[in-house]
Amino acid sequence: MATQSSVPPIATETFSAESLTKRPRIGEALIQVFLFSCGIISIFTTIGIVIVLAEEAIKFFALPQVTLLEYFTGTKWQPAIGYFGVLPLVLATIMISGIGMVVALPIGLLTAIYLSEYASPRARNILKPLLEVLAGIPTVVYGYFALQFMTPVLRSIFGVQQVQIFNVASAGIVVGILIIPLVTSLSEDALSAVPRSLREAAYALGGTKWETARQIVLPAGLSGVTAAFVVAISRAVGETMIVAIAAGSGPRNFEIGKDSLFGFIFNPFVAGETMTGHMVRISGGDLSYNSVEYLSIFSIGLLLFVMTLILNLIARRIVTKYREVYE
Amino acid sequence: MTLNSYAQNKHLAVEADKMSVYYGGFRAVKEVSLQIPQKAITALIGPSGCGKSTVLRSFNRMNDLVPTARVEGAIHYHGNNIYAPNVDPVEIRRRIGMVFQKPNPFSKSIYENVAWGARINGYKGNMDELVEASLRQAALWDEVKDKLAESGFSLSGGQQQRLCIARTIAVKPEIILMDEPTSALDPVATLKIEDLIQELKENYTIIIVTHNMQQAARASDFTAFFNMDADRAGYLVEFNETNEIFTNPKHELTEQYITGRFG
Amino acid sequence: MSDESTTYIAPEPKFGYPAGPKLDQQIKARHRRGQFWYVLLGASLIVSILALIALLYTIVNDAFGLAAVEYKNDPTRLVVEQQEKVMLADRDTVSSEDDRELAAGIMNDPYAIGFFGYAYYQQSSDNLTLLAVDGITPDAGNVEDGTYPLARPLFLYSDARVLENNQAANVFINYYLTHVNEEISDVGYFPLSAGRISQAQQTWKQANALDLPAGQWAAINPDGVGGSLSIAGSSTVYPLTQRMLERIKADGFVGDTSDESVGSTAGYRAFCVDGAADIAAGSRPMNQNEFASCRKIGRLPLEFAVGTDALAIVVSAQNDFLTAVTADELRLIFTTAQKWSDVNPNWPDQPIKRFIPGTDSGTLDFFVETVFPIALDELPQPTLVSILADNVSPGLGRRMESEQRFFADQLVFFSQEQWAEACDGATPYAGCTLPPRAKDSVLQLLNENVTEPNIVAVWKLVPSLLNRAAIEQEALEKYPAASLQFTSWVSTAFLRSPQSSTPELAGVRTAVLGSLWVVAFTALVSFPLGVGAAIYLEEYATDNRLNRLIQTNISNLAGVPSIIYGMLGLAVFVRALEVITSGTAFGAVAAGATANGRTILSASLTLALLILPIIIISGQEALRSVPNSLRQGGMALGATQWQTIWSHVLPSALPGILTGTILSISRALGETAPLVVVGASTFITTDPTGPFAKFTTLPVQIYQWTSRPQPEFQNLAAAAIVVLLILLLSLNATAVLLRNRYARRAA
Repeated sequence: MATQSSVPPIATETFSAESLTKRPRIGEALIQVFLFSCGIISIFTTIGIVIVLAEEAIKFFALPQVTLLEYFTGTKWQPAIGYFGVLPLVLATIMISGIGMVVALPIGLLTAIYLSEYASPRARNILKPLLEVLAGIPTVVYGYFALQFMTPVLRSIFGVQQVQIFNVASAGIVVGILIIPLVTSLSEDALSAVPRSLREAAYALGGTKWETARQIVLPAGLSGVTAAFVVAISRAVGETMIVAIAAGSGPRNFEIGKDSLFGFIFNPFVAGETMTGHMVRISGGDLSYNSVEYLSIFSIGLLLFVMTLILNLIARRIVTKYREVYE
Repeated sequence: MTLNSYAQNKHLAVEADKMSVYYGGFRAVKEVSLQIPQKAITALIGPSGCGKSTVLRSFNRMNDLVPTARVEGAIHYHGNNIYAPNVDPVEIRRRIGMVFQKPNPFSKSIYENVAWGARINGYKGNMDELVEASLRQAALWDEVKDKLAESGFSLSGGQQQRLCIARTIAVKPEIILMDEPTSALDPVATLKIEDLIQELKENYTIIIVTHNMQQAARASDFTAFFNMDADRAGYLVEFNETNEIFTNPKHELTEQYITGRFG
Repeated sequence: MSDESTTYIAPEPKFGYPAGPKLDQQIKARHRRGQFWYVLLGASLIVSILALIALLYTIVNDAFGLAAVEYKNDPTRLVVEQQEKVMLADRDTVSSEDDRELAAGIMNDPYAIGFFGYAYYQQSSDNLTLLAVDGITPDAGNVEDGTYPLARPLFLYSDARVLENNQAANVFINYYLTHVNEEISDVGYFPLSAGRISQAQQTWKQANALDLPAGQWAAINPDGVGGSLSIAGSSTVYPLTQRMLERIKADGFVGDTSDESVGSTAGYRAFCVDGAADIAAGSRPMNQNEFASCRKIGRLPLEFAVGTDALAIVVSAQNDFLTAVTADELRLIFTTAQKWSDVNPNWPDQPIKRFIPGTDSGTLDFFVETVFPIALDELPQPTLVSILADNVSPGLGRRMESEQRFFADQLVFFSQEQWAEACDGATPYAGCTLPPRAKDSVLQLLNENVTEPNIVAVWKLVPSLLNRAAIEQEALEKYPAASLQFTSWVSTAFLRSPQSSTPELAGVRTAVLGSLWVVAFTALVSFPLGVGAAIYLEEYATDNRLNRLIQTNISNLAGVPSIIYGMLGLAVFVRALEVITSGTAFGAVAAGATANGRTILSASLTLALLILPIIIISGQEALRSVPNSLRQGGMALGATQWQTIWSHVLPSALPGILTGTILSISRALGETAPLVVVGASTFITTDPTGPFAKFTTLPVQIYQWTSRPQPEFQNLAAAAIVVLLILLLSLNATAVLLRNRYARRAA
């Protein structure tokens, strides 16, 4: 090739005006339509979720025996015999999420500070995959862990009389363990995004490592950390398998005034079914379509969807705001 | 007046003694010996990569923050080697402050930006007074006195840099290190900072790294010229009064550099 | 800058900083605070790691451990009996309980081989050649330490109450334990070490409530002691006992003794079932079942080790080709080989003449148990079938065979005519068309109909390892008929067996297959859609409201709880699209399928929607990391946008896209709640056959087992978790490998 002697002749044809005009490319157009449909599927998914949940939930609320007032204020959930108060389920969800947060937020945040401010690159390279392992374990395994490890531990600490086999505390603690990696990884991202120069400025003023981390880096990454917390709460609220296995298989129906407030209603060592736990238990059984139970779990699903959606939107808002500060 | 005669009259603020800095296996700075006079402005100049920033950061042990960095030789400060094992870098940095290339205010209010350093260092006096005094000294008070609660980010670049200077002087250091403090600023803001540096000289020893030879010539009392040898290690070529360096360089390299023939 | 501020120099504020020793204190205090928090930070990290360790610990602790299993028929016994039957059935095999007869038979035939107790070999060692087994010729050293493969201990058994009531028996055992080591070598066996003899003496002391320090022995003078003493058992122990009887009588013992050489099993029967013998002699330890029988008649057997025997494998001294055999050769010689040359072509082309002890002798049992594999699942399929045939009724056997034949070319329970008639008839058996059963299936039939294991108690791994003795004691007391086995709940049988309501037979086969089907379809659906959406959003979408909405929507979908997707799947795929997802639209419903819309397809579509946002987001990240210059380069050559994407952008984004996809697939693999909602079956035992089959998956299976109160199901759940985690780990490892491989290529 290098010895090629003759130079190829320069093209002498002239372009016609048409050859430069835009040509319809049917293949390209079809591909674009396909790709667009792929993108739009997510919208349909959301619409599908909303329609499905709303449709069945409306059918549920249209039932003569169900009233919205009872739904949101009643303290008994037994659809089979006409009690439709969702509070016991919501209360268990809130208690478990609350216990989970008490476990996950401090541990997750402190771990994130350790990873972003203290750990050497080598330690980080070992520890972060370890946390990813924790995050990659299916929740049903955590459920097993709650039942087979956490519950016996709680029972041996607080007494077999005090702690029921199925209880809210054990599920809550394990939900907390489940979301530690989430809190850690999101918070660490937020802290690592804080510019190095800020840390240097703090050190140059005579700040110690902890003073710099706590008083300079953490406030600077606070919005990201807050968003991480909110996402974590949303994840805890929607968590299903742990609570289905370990928290109990019946709503903790109560009567205000009759049942002891801390002995029963808010007692973490007593069983209590959450919204998600209830949904999975009812749908796992033999369920006839359009029965009250079938419709009722869609109403709970709608409530759950709205709760998590609001939490996720809040988190997104915080994150958007936090981006503005740094860009 | 030669440096030696000057130095006899003036006390030394800090002195590097055959100091070398390594990053891992790479020697970034080679056996620099440098005597910085008190209450004067010393400029460190040289082509990029010659280690002048590294030398500057060695004076308050900022290099400790780079995990692979290691310092040999000594830096004497009030008769102590600041790299001696019993010396606490926190105390060193409290007494040798630093202003950085890019303004880096904390994500706190203007007031808190100034007060933070004082607070952690156990300042017991009236904080409002200290903040005001520091901002005044940094020539920023009039511009920010009505919005002390606003975020430090709300200020312009030049104002942010003066805020950073204010927060540095609030902890009452003896020496202020400045790492190209005006390189990110426009000419007007640069001029203001240069004026400010001149005023600060009354009370503080200032060591400034600059890329800008005019700035060094205009604003400093002493100038140290650094260059890089064949294996990319920075070394000190010449140190003298600024006048001498720019009008009567002793070293050929210095002359070539100030006349713009390399760098 | 105002005039004032340029000229004004702030007065020094009051000096307010700590100095001198105060400064020192202040800095130290700050460092202490930092140190405190540093410890706290590290501790919080450790909490996470501890949680991970505790989780793995719990699983491993439950996935392995001791289990007390009661068998209707002891599988070891079944195998041994079967093997013995095979050996005895051969026409070239001579069997006798009298070892002298065997020795005599072998001596005279150069092509004979046989085995018996070492003592009998010694009596005729001039005319017999002792063979080395696996390179080891038995001698005192390798028999005592057990390196010779065919060495075994010899025992006497009695009972504390018997010894208390029968002075003769008590004194005889005492005498035995005092003098056995002086006689044993002469009889032809190997003496016990001092430690083991003193252990046996200790047992005797305890039975007599003698509180003597260890090592101290109370020998009783038998002079004048009388009474009646009945011994029965092993022909191997017999000559030794005879020698001891002679000696004790010489020492003045005047009792009336009977000693029967009937074989260990018969001896144990005489002692434990009939209660006729005062002392049982055995050449193998008593097994759990015999122990249990003893307890039933109120006897708690005491074990006295008295010596060690080595089984001698011998040929005639006239044999000129054999001096050593391997265990593999032994197996062939005593079972399928007809001629010596069948075992080794260098050996003569002559029929093998075998001389073996009879079934009542412990020697045969010992030989079989030592030389042949005794686990059911190690046996070849024909052997398993014959065990089955021996142990089930013909009616049941025919039902099994009619469902599926055992062999392609041979019938077991049917005659050829019966089979042909049934298969040509109006309602042919399923077995007429199905391929023959695999070994697994035969094993399963054996387990279900013959051995019928029943786990009566389980222990976790850690106590199993640390408190083995206490557990053995407990098992012996509470479940005398059960045998205690160290069980790995994760096993090949566990992987190969379908779901079962009997925990010892249950496996994850159905669930693993279900998971694989579901995940495969999920990937098939979600990968093109996800990548398509990512390409659209990164390469085509302009910044308009719709596209921003799509983007926001995708991140919101990623945060929707998985159970909500389950509700969506239930209402849309299972109910509304039932015609499609059940397969009726395609006429694809298999006979007997009653899945409705609760099929693999519905589950896959649901999971596909669930992981779609994750695939899209990771795909977008991968595309975003492709440098723009690549796109411009492609375009500049006149390629259309799609051509550029297809041939330049996608290939370099592919590793990232694949990594993200694999990670989301592993998410789908572990997903439980939505599948429960869309109706994973709670109990199915048939393998899924396609997208329209009903199904269960591994996580759903784990959930169901975890929800069962019986402890064995928790072990099963743990074992299934181990399987699930291994699957996930290999998926993730693939992702990591992929990432590293392409990262290196790019670098």
